[in-house]
Amino acid sequence: MTESTEQFDVTIIGGGPTGLFAAFYAGMRDMKVKIIESMPQLGGQLGALYPEKDIYDVAGFPKIKAKDLVSNLKEQALKFNPTIVLEQTVEKLEHLEDQTIKLTSISGETHVTKAVIITAGVGAFQPRRIDTENAKQYEGHNLHYFVEDLEVFRDKKVVILGGGDSAVDWANMLDSIAKEVTLVHRRDKFRAHEHSVDLLKKSSVILKTPFQVKELIGDDTNIKQLVIQEVRGEKIETLDLDALICNYGFVSSLGAIKDWDLNIEKNAIVVNSKMETNIPGVYAAGDVATYEGKVKLIATGFGEAPTAVNNVKHYIDPKSRTQPMHSTSLFN
Amino acid sequence: MPKYTIVDKDTCIACGACGAAAPDLFDYDEEGYSEVIIDKNKGTIPILEDLEDDLIDARDGCPTESIKVSDEPFLCKMLNNQ
Repeated sequence: MTESTEQFDVTIIGGGPTGLFAAFYAGMRDMKVKIIESMPQLGGQLGALYPEKDIYDVAGFPKIKAKDLVSNLKEQALKFNPTIVLEQTVEKLEHLEDQTIKLTSISGETHVTKAVIITAGVGAFQPRRIDTENAKQYEGHNLHYFVEDLEVFRDKKVVILGGGDSAVDWANMLDSIAKEVTLVHRRDKFRAHEHSVDLLKKSSVILKTPFQVKELIGDDTNIKQLVIQEVRGEKIETLDLDALICNYGFVSSLGAIKDWDLNIEKNAIVVNSKMETNIPGVYAAGDVATYEGKVKLIATGFGEAPTAVNNVKHYIDPKSRTQPMHSTSLFN
Repeated sequence: MPKYTIVDKDTCIACGACGAAAPDLFDYDEEGYSEVIIDKNKGTIPILEDLEDDLIDARDGCPTESIKVSDEPFLCKMLNNQ
């Protein structure tokens, strides 16, 4: 846990498309920017839920894959070098005596900022966790919900849980790196790209279907064995393992944001036409923000982000213009 | 045992995950939110047994846990505000 006193002009909570565009725009308006994201990756729903889906309703792109849009947004957002904080979920928001805002994450880190833009979409994403009593104690050891470095699994016996794109892709990628890869899925059919499933069936990955997790056996820190049981059957098997990767998808929740005394309607924060919430210095944009006639689209978030940023600029520096220069005249 | 399902539209975020996992069970209303095809999201008609695995995939894949599954018909007023 770290106590940071470095003050930012604006802190953006949520690194989805609206948050990333807001970060770029705030950088363009010469603000010192921080983004706080609950996942170990940027991109929000686009990255977590449907990276392979084609999107057709973003202005200027007749068709673009969600992951490619994220990649473009990241490139754009990083232009002005914002500070990016990953894997932190903001739990508390409070005003300090000088009217700056202190944010505190669930893990205890603090962030000081003049203004906040909440672009949290449908709330912080968390991986759907294994539902056994002792699973939690293995997190941070040999139970993985994200794969950041394939080398961690070199020459190890790896078991992967799940039947979607992530599970199948990691199984295929680890096939040549790990000593042995076993994929456990609740049904015989996989919910992944046909091409990936074809690769899987031709690989040396051991398939255990239809099986589900019954028990994790290990010491205080590491899982040693996984007990699986046949779905609608009695067959039980015990697998030895060095690492367990769980890809059961994600769940999201607005969580503590609901306790900040914001005006909330149907899981969204009520804002005015400046994207201001009822709390001074706190703005919201994208799917998390609502007003009469609101339409929840990526395109809408892209419009609301500059509205929020330009009004934040005026809030923290009342002498500045709300109406910005055109970007074409800024970079020449 | 027959299975019934219903989408809680108050928490559905219209992400499309259930429609991808179980296209024969879930479609979208005019606002893009998901609903059960067979009984217009009333949770009163059991789904075909062949589709039960798809249903569980859709339930487990829903990021907001909006897909409810039951062995008994739902009281539609509780979830649907109808």
